[in-house]
Amino acid sequence: MRKVLVMVAVALAVFGAAAYGQGAAAAGKKLVIAVVPKSLNNPVFLESKTGAEAAAKELGNVEILFTGSPDPDSSAQVSIVEGLIEKGVDGILIACNLAEALQPVIDKAVAAGIVVATYDSDSPKSKRAFYVGSNNYDFGRVSAQRMNKLLPKGGKVAVLTGIVGIANLEERIKGFKETLDKDITLYPIQTGEDDIQKSVEVVNQFTAANPDMSAWWFDGGWPFIANPSALTELSKFVKRGGKVVSVDSLYPMLQYLELGMADVLIGQNMYACGLQGVKNIANIVKGGKPPAEMIWTDMEIVTKDNVKAVKAGKKPW
Amino acid sequence: MAVSSSVKRVYSSSVFGVAVILATMCAVMAVLTNKFLTETNIVSVVRQFSFISIMAIGQCMVIITGGIDLSVGSVFAFSSVISAMSLAAGAPLAASLLVGAACGMAFGLVNGILITRVKLPPFISTLGIMSVARGLSYAVTSGFPVNIKSADYAFLGQGQIAGVPVPVLLLVALAAIASAFLGRTVLGRRIYALGGNEEAARVSGVDIDRVKVIVYVLCGALAAIAGIATASRLGVAQSTAGMGYELDSIAAVIIGGASVKGGTGTISGTIIGASIMGVLRNALVLLSVSAYWQQAIIGFVIILAVSMDQLRNMAKA
Repeated sequence: MRKVLVMVAVALAVFGAAAYGQGAAAAGKKLVIAVVPKSLNNPVFLESKTGAEAAAKELGNVEILFTGSPDPDSSAQVSIVEGLIEKGVDGILIACNLAEALQPVIDKAVAAGIVVATYDSDSPKSKRAFYVGSNNYDFGRVSAQRMNKLLPKGGKVAVLTGIVGIANLEERIKGFKETLDKDITLYPIQTGEDDIQKSVEVVNQFTAANPDMSAWWFDGGWPFIANPSALTELSKFVKRGGKVVSVDSLYPMLQYLELGMADVLIGQNMYACGLQGVKNIANIVKGGKPPAEMIWTDMEIVTKDNVKAVKAGKKPW
Repeated sequence: MAVSSSVKRVYSSSVFGVAVILATMCAVMAVLTNKFLTETNIVSVVRQFSFISIMAIGQCMVIITGGIDLSVGSVFAFSSVISAMSLAAGAPLAASLLVGAACGMAFGLVNGILITRVKLPPFISTLGIMSVARGLSYAVTSGFPVNIKSADYAFLGQGQIAGVPVPVLLLVALAAIASAFLGRTVLGRRIYALGGNEEAARVSGVDIDRVKVIVYVLCGALAAIAGIATASRLGVAQSTAGMGYELDSIAAVIIGGASVKGGTGTISGTIIGASIMGVLRNALVLLSVSAYWQQAIIGFVIILAVSMDQLRNMAKA
């Protein structure tokens, strides 16, 4: 049943992309660069769209085509890239749901003369020109470094993840575990199942059940998308000295720093992914020299000291 | 008279079994941890399953007719998003709530019409609407969460009256109304009659199509109410909310003693079914069970609960 849905979604997406692209072609000899996020339902990727559009504006002759499947589904992504090859776009910047699944179609696109690059999640064995993004292991590593500083005397840390078994989250957890000081121990990992309501309840219930907990680490920002008034137990937790470090630094999350309900947010710089990805693709299409194979974007580390400046630079949701 | 007494017999027997299972689970938890029977924890658990329960009331009625509604999770998201957006656009509180509920009813009506007039199987019709409602939620929000700034709106999900969370009171009220509707009105009995034997109900003069349309409209309305209450609880409405909740609501109904073949099922059983899942999820959190084990345990306990109930019924027959 899922396949039928995916096929319908893909057909619509490709149809839409084709219609849009024809319009662009008619307008002049603009380069068309497609940006394909992991899914359309994850607001994290919207900042990559903003970055890509900023690059297009700066370059002047580039049209951005932001297209993807509603849910993070690699077979749907394959079909979307096939549609883009059919259409003959000039470049593709894609965040791969599954490296291996996307490899053949990326190679097919490259063979068709399209410049392909990856962002956020790479397909390292494919013939893509370069990857731009941060390393998931590093999110965990930097989170743990911050945690070590916050807990100089050690302590017990709870971990909230999304869906278990998802490669990028597992990488983050690995980096976190391997960097933590020896006197910091972990509770068994908890999951909010990638759902904001479930994440909020798990955080509240687990916090209330473990009064000797020293800190929370969220390997993604789910609970902080909700309003702070929903996280009653977390609010009590920080008042009695509890620490909170979270991956992601999306706009609604910043208020938690201002309220003292989070100590450090570590975000992916999606804007930079979109911006640098599109600029470099455009440069290669025009005959320029390819950049380094791996372009590492900065992690955005936000604390109460720089939250004002970071907030001013983000578009409110 | 014969219909009424047989309904009562099914009612008492099916609810008794699951109630014993729920009581046993609570007793075991109370022994295993002193964190289970605290006021904070009970309030949190009851509030958490109240959202799924409200949705499951509608699902129960649909399943009694022998149908199924896969669209509830998406309708839950769409209605809450539209309601929050109309509030943000300046609509008064009552209007924004009504608009949300109307969205749910509209999708229910479409389901009802597709099932009765176009003769689509409920599985296909509601699967299609599941995709349409989810897709429209993405389309109207572009994937961004919608903030709810009104304190009155937030009261619906976050407020308490005499220490009892408002969504729980809402659930009790809706469950009482639905129970009385199913057990004591002509229309309610027709719902059971048509699920028990559609042809017999038709021959005896029941307007089957009308009853079915009403049931899907009610189911849509209840999904919308659950969605609005959840958004109010979190202070934010999101297009990705309620993913997979259709399965949670179906599981609640079936654990509660209903048959997928139709004709049986009760509101009280459904709510106990939802409670069993709520207590189970809470137990995994309180006992610090690793996320990597949780899903397997949830599945195992659901099968165990339904099997025990089934064996008990077989022994009685």
